Amino acid sequence: MNLDDAFGTFIDEAGELLAQMEELLLAAEDGDVGEDAQQALFRCAHTIKGSAGLFGLDEVVRFTHTVEGVLDRLRNGEVLFSSDLAALLLECKDHIAALIATARDGEAERTGKGEALQQRLQTYLAPSSVPVAGDEPERLERVSEPKPIGRAGGAFGPEHWHISLRFSPDLLKHGMDPMSFVRYLAHYGEIVHVATLPDALPGWADYDSEVCHLGFEVDLKSVATKEEIESVFDFVRDDAQIRILPPHSKVEEFLALIAALPEDKARLGEILVAGGSLTERELASALAVRHREGEQTASVQRPLGEILVDASLVPQALVNAALEKQKRSEEKHALEARSIKIPADRLDHLINLVGEMVIAGASSQLLAQRAGDPELIESAGNLLRRVEDIRDTALRLRMVPIGEVFSRFPRIVRDVARDLGKEIELRISGADAELDKSMVERIGDPLMHMVRNAIDHGIEQPQVRTARGKPALGTVNLNAYHESGSIVIEVVDDGGGLDSERIFAKAVERGLVSPGQNLTQQEIFSLVFAPGFSTADQVTNLSGRGVGMDVVKRNIEALRGSVELDSEPGRGTKMRICLPLTLAIIDGFEVQIGHAHFILPLDAVVECIDLPLVASGGFLNLRGEVLPVIRLAELFEIPSLQTGHESVIVVRFGGRKAGIVIDCLLGECQTVIKPLGQLFERIPVISGSTILGSGEVALILDVLQLIEAAANRESKAVGVIPTA
Amino acid sequence: MTLQTVFSNGERCHLAIDGEVTIYSVAALKAGLDALAPSLAEIEIDLSGVSEIDTAGLQLMLMAKRIEGRSVRFVNHSEVVLQLLEISNLAGAIGDPLILSAGGAK
Repeated sequence: MNLDDAFGTFIDEAGELLAQMEELLLAAEDGDVGEDAQQALFRCAHTIKGSAGLFGLDEVVRFTHTVEGVLDRLRNGEVLFSSDLAALLLECKDHIAALIATARDGEAERTGKGEALQQRLQTYLAPSSVPVAGDEPERLERVSEPKPIGRAGGAFGPEHWHISLRFSPDLLKHGMDPMSFVRYLAHYGEIVHVATLPDALPGWADYDSEVCHLGFEVDLKSVATKEEIESVFDFVRDDAQIRILPPHSKVEEFLALIAALPEDKARLGEILVAGGSLTERELASALAVRHREGEQTASVQRPLGEILVDASLVPQALVNAALEKQKRSEEKHALEARSIKIPADRLDHLINLVGEMVIAGASSQLLAQRAGDPELIESAGNLLRRVEDIRDTALRLRMVPIGEVFSRFPRIVRDVARDLGKEIELRISGADAELDKSMVERIGDPLMHMVRNAIDHGIEQPQVRTARGKPALGTVNLNAYHESGSIVIEVVDDGGGLDSERIFAKAVERGLVSPGQNLTQQEIFSLVFAPGFSTADQVTNLSGRGVGMDVVKRNIEALRGSVELDSEPGRGTKMRICLPLTLAIIDGFEVQIGHAHFILPLDAVVECIDLPLVASGGFLNLRGEVLPVIRLAELFEIPSLQTGHESVIVVRFGGRKAGIVIDCLLGECQTVIKPLGQLFERIPVISGSTILGSGEVALILDVLQLIEAAANRESKAVGVIPTA
Repeated sequence: MTLQTVFSNGERCHLAIDGEVTIYSVAALKAGLDALAPSLAEIEIDLSGVSEIDTAGLQLMLMAKRIEGRSVRFVNHSEVVLQLLEISNLAGAIGDPLILSAGGAK
């Protein structure tokens, strides 16, 4: 194991643990904290401290130790949970994250904030257990003192652990020092006795100085759990033999340990006696029993577990539980092995290549069709199908659950709500809906702004809510779901809703609309997204940052998405973001107008119908449903082919439908989206371009804009389509 | 890390180790010991300059005691060495007289 890799793993793990802590603390803040949560909190802090210690992040260890101390008292019921404590612990969690971040970036560790937090933590620690700062040497000193241990009679102290360590021979080469693990155990209690076993040392001639030959038998007096002690060895467990015998282990277990170890049995017995794990008498009598047992079952060596159960030393249930646990941990390992981490740029490179391959495949299929050789056509068709499979698989590699973005919102909502003195519950659903990783990264900020907006402007103060007959606790819902090849993210609040009159008045004041203009409710709401618009009466520290909803809209549109807003006065507001799942490749539907080729995203296509050539009416009666119709030939001013009939493609986007009249349907095709040049960027109905298999360029149509253009009957000629 | 010969008369020699005795330097130290003239039967190694020692170093000390045909003694153990011998309980196995300071191994 490379230490750098291990450090990366540590950073990742610490991040996960901190996220878990945050989640637990946030949950705890709402209500009473359960015993499980208390244990889990302690374990998180504990594991972070443990692994930070391995990497020598002293500042993290020092600070986390204090936090852990408080959490320990919490789980022992010595400190009562309060929302103050939860808030403090959240701050501590942030500080740990900051410390780890500075360690990762290789900057000097800061102490200023930590000191203040430590001060506050101290109030939750019992005066006797005032810990940390530099208590390590003191502990080591204690280790060196010969401690009287109850060897006579009650050798099995209630906190007496025996740990047997045989590390991987390569441990030293991996940059880890076995002794540092032994020393580290001192964090968990008091090291009573250490025996270093040189038995495996070879002769001088065969001695490889960089191979670890030493074994260790450690006796530890500790109140830690077995899990905690095991966690010390997390990084080396795979290729080491580590046996931990908890307090009150049966004599037989020690015998089994002796039997399992390669060293001289008598010497191991002595070590156990010296460490206080066994008394002389126990060892002698147990060995005698074992010996007799051995004679009786002379030929058949029974597994120790069986012997123990037979002798009623261990109840069967316990053995089963242990086996079960073992199985579970194996399953967990298997699960870990099933996922790997890949740098994003390699993935991007792969997807770029796949994109080029799709174009090349389409082109060779086209050539095959022109050549007219059936075998060649079949083979090219086969190839293209495989390429499509590869494309789908490659794109799926980039898909991550949107939950990654959502997970940071509970904390933000809590903090913002607290700042504003509001009571808000955040409900998240659909966190497992997947979308492209690059989208996940870029949707975070706009989404955050929308959630803040919902809290800041949407949800009312508790008193106001109660007065309006609503529950004092406001809710903000974050939903995500897939809809026809897009992902829809909704931010819904049950607050005051938008005041359309005020928005209109404000828009008039800003000169965005003229006072006499007759706008629908929907159009008024969309004014919120106009640049420089803000209706908040008060400027809080959240709004008034110069970032408005117009930026949100721009960011989302940059992702080829759309944002809509719906509101009901007094009932709440719903903001709806619609995003494509990926930015790279889509399934397209190729159509022809005149001699120009266009691509519609296939997901948006509902059906194709033949339209008898009738008057250029703006509407289509589709089985009783009235759809607005737009003629692309007119829109783009392309002379139509005049084939005698027209085809209509019915498209749908975000619940709205429209008919698009074209000359000729060409069918499905793989479309690798290429950005438009600067010249064409601002043409509203075109979202991109692509290169067809024939080498021709086709423009990709923006369905949403087309639907809007179709619905807008006043403007048929190109260029008059409203852009705002 | 440096391994210096302080004194040598063909049969006995005094060596001094300065710096770290860790995984990074044990191979060089072993090579240094191997390179000594075969006639040197008694070797005394001064550890007062050892600034850092780890398990690999500890292992080297144990091994050095086992070199056939040679007697190796360690003297003037530095604080870090004492501390490691203390925690590993190997003072007896290595068997050299230790001088403990009044403050103990800190």
